[in-house]
Amino acid sequence: MKRTLAIAAGLAAGLAFGAGALAYDGTNCSAPGNCWEPKPGYPETVEGTKYDPQHDPAELSKQAESLAAMDERNAMRVKHFKETGEFVYDVSKIPGAN
Amino acid sequence: MSMRKTSPMPALTLAAFIAAPALTASPAFANDALVELAKDPSNWVMTGRDYSANNYSEMDQINSENVTELRSAWSFSTGVLHGHEGTPLVIGDVMYVHSPFPNTTFALDLNEPGKIIWQNKPKQNPTARSVACCDVVNRGLAYWPGDDEVEPLIFRTQLDGHIMAMSAETGETRWVMENSDIKVGSTLTIAPYVIKDNVIVGSSGAELGVRGYVTAYNVKTGEQVWRAFATGPDEDMRLSADFNAPNPHYGQWGLGLDTWEGDAWKIGGGTNWGWYAYDPDEDTFYYGSGNAAPWNETMRPGDNKWTNSIWGRDPDDGMARFAYQKTPHDEWDYAGVNVMMLSEQEDKDGNMRKLLTHPDRNGIVYTLDRTTGDLVSADKVDDTVNWTKTVQLDTGLPVRDPEFGTRMDHKSRDICPSAMGYHNQGHDSYDPERQLFFMGLNHICMDWEPFMLPYRAGQFFVGATLWMYPGPKGDRQNDLGLGQVKAYDAITGEFKWEVMERFAVWGGTMATAGGLTFYGTLDGFIKARDSDTGDLLWKYRLPSGAIGHPMTYEHDGTQYIAIYYGVGGWPGVGLVFDLQDPTAGLGSVGAFKRLQEYTQMGGGIMVFSLDGRSPYSDPNVGEYQPNEG
Repeated sequence: MKRTLAIAAGLAAGLAFGAGALAYDGTNCSAPGNCWEPKPGYPETVEGTKYDPQHDPAELSKQAESLAAMDERNAMRVKHFKETGEFVYDVSKIPGAN
Repeated sequence: MSMRKTSPMPALTLAAFIAAPALTASPAFANDALVELAKDPSNWVMTGRDYSANNYSEMDQINSENVTELRSAWSFSTGVLHGHEGTPLVIGDVMYVHSPFPNTTFALDLNEPGKIIWQNKPKQNPTARSVACCDVVNRGLAYWPGDDEVEPLIFRTQLDGHIMAMSAETGETRWVMENSDIKVGSTLTIAPYVIKDNVIVGSSGAELGVRGYVTAYNVKTGEQVWRAFATGPDEDMRLSADFNAPNPHYGQWGLGLDTWEGDAWKIGGGTNWGWYAYDPDEDTFYYGSGNAAPWNETMRPGDNKWTNSIWGRDPDDGMARFAYQKTPHDEWDYAGVNVMMLSEQEDKDGNMRKLLTHPDRNGIVYTLDRTTGDLVSADKVDDTVNWTKTVQLDTGLPVRDPEFGTRMDHKSRDICPSAMGYHNQGHDSYDPERQLFFMGLNHICMDWEPFMLPYRAGQFFVGATLWMYPGPKGDRQNDLGLGQVKAYDAITGEFKWEVMERFAVWGGTMATAGGLTFYGTLDGFIKARDSDTGDLLWKYRLPSGAIGHPMTYEHDGTQYIAIYYGVGGWPGVGLVFDLQDPTAGLGSVGAFKRLQEYTQMGGGIMVFSLDGRSPYSDPNVGEYQPNEG
């Protein structure tokens, strides 16, 4: 999802405070807790510019997938530990876990 | 001189470990027992000694009058090299020692420290080493005192991402859970932290684009209780219904997405690998989230919340009561994970306040009201800080000096502090009698040039080249004068004293009622300074540089001071991995190129006492006794 960052604030700051405010100093906020502005000559959003990181969605999702898999294995370990009083780390050796 | 000889809890001998749960009434919460144990200065039950994380001891057997008589009492080698961070724990008659990778844990018998009661050595995938950004360090252990169901436990994090619980008595593993996956560059170096019946675990890997999170596990079973992220949707970050209500201008809802462009928050950093503090009365714990990823600021427009923030969370459900972002849109790797020290002091208006003081990487030492998150003070730790002109206390915003920002297609110069910060992972101390914080500081500045790079899970995602060197008060010709130690008053903002050090004071400090401030140095000394004047009263040449914090305990009427030796960590990367390029080691190799002239690698613990008294003062203690007949 594309998000627009502080465009209104950037424009307003420029009009209200003149050229000095164009240099990003962190004090012109579009909303509480949202005070970023592009630096002079740099884009408001990087998508489609020469600074576009062009992130691969498949790469971006790998961490969440990894956490979900670890949580699932941990849940099997905890269940077996609670039920039997014996802790087994290797989920392939937990009866009924796979 | 006074020193409590009677413990509020009996010394936990091996027999007591077994008998205690059956014989004593179980307290309402386990952390009550931990609070009680910490009240006895003979114990050191957690990082920072107690929940206030003051690294302060009431003991004064060793004091400014007699510290010149301090001698080594005994020592112990961990058998591994690389950086030895953190400090050992002492509970009763046992010292618990941790090591860097492979993160072996030892229990030593304080009645006879030559005896290793048990050791727990994990088997880890050596690949974990390749995704550690800054040496294979580990910051310590945690202790849970047990109840009538389960025996006392020691907790350990491992570089390969595991959190594990072991019997404090036998070292036998109770449970092991996966918290972090090295395949995506996520490791663990932080010390676990016990609050009530939860063990809190942080995260590392912002240099590999890891989105930071903090997790609580049930101490007995390892079952996950809650997990809170530093970026993304509000529900992922676990914001309470009244999050930041006392300070709505800090920002409240939706900012974990709105202050990022697109999905960049998914690889946004904000890991927490520093230290925790806890206020049992407020039932809130405190910590800082780390830097945003990548270091290339141009690739992530926005304030990048809630990286680089001070958090106050409920330890039971993880819900955040407040967060204050210190470095919006980080451009310098000012990872905001540093130590949190709690105190009660009168503010400038004479009101008694419950405070939290936090010397950040960005060169500002922040003091907040820990019940509301209100900003009380934000002072430069050194007048050479230049990325910000000032921090506005009413808005909470740092006024950036655009001259010292970073951006693509530009090499910024003479930025202070450097990415290593004017303060890093060292755990400092607070003397409640003097109302002074004793801070181990860095004095390092840098040039910085970012570059574009793709994100590939498991690979480094930094995107900046750095050149680091001594700050303006150091010796840039000879690459020395990289550190400072200062005594700071958080209310007046004044420094009672300050001294320069040859290298960064990386490991933190410890203060005592004996009027002494102890710390270790990278060039291989433990030093004691007069807490009132900063005068150097004593030092001892350690086998290797120190990057952990000193601790103290009493055993059989004798006060001991202990510290790890074993240089490493980020400043030691050049020495440890034999690197020459000044920009290698994320820029630290150049800054610390003189370090190898003063120290080499090591690994162990040195223990000191007056006149070097120890259990072996009677040489027959611990001698081999042949079987009779």
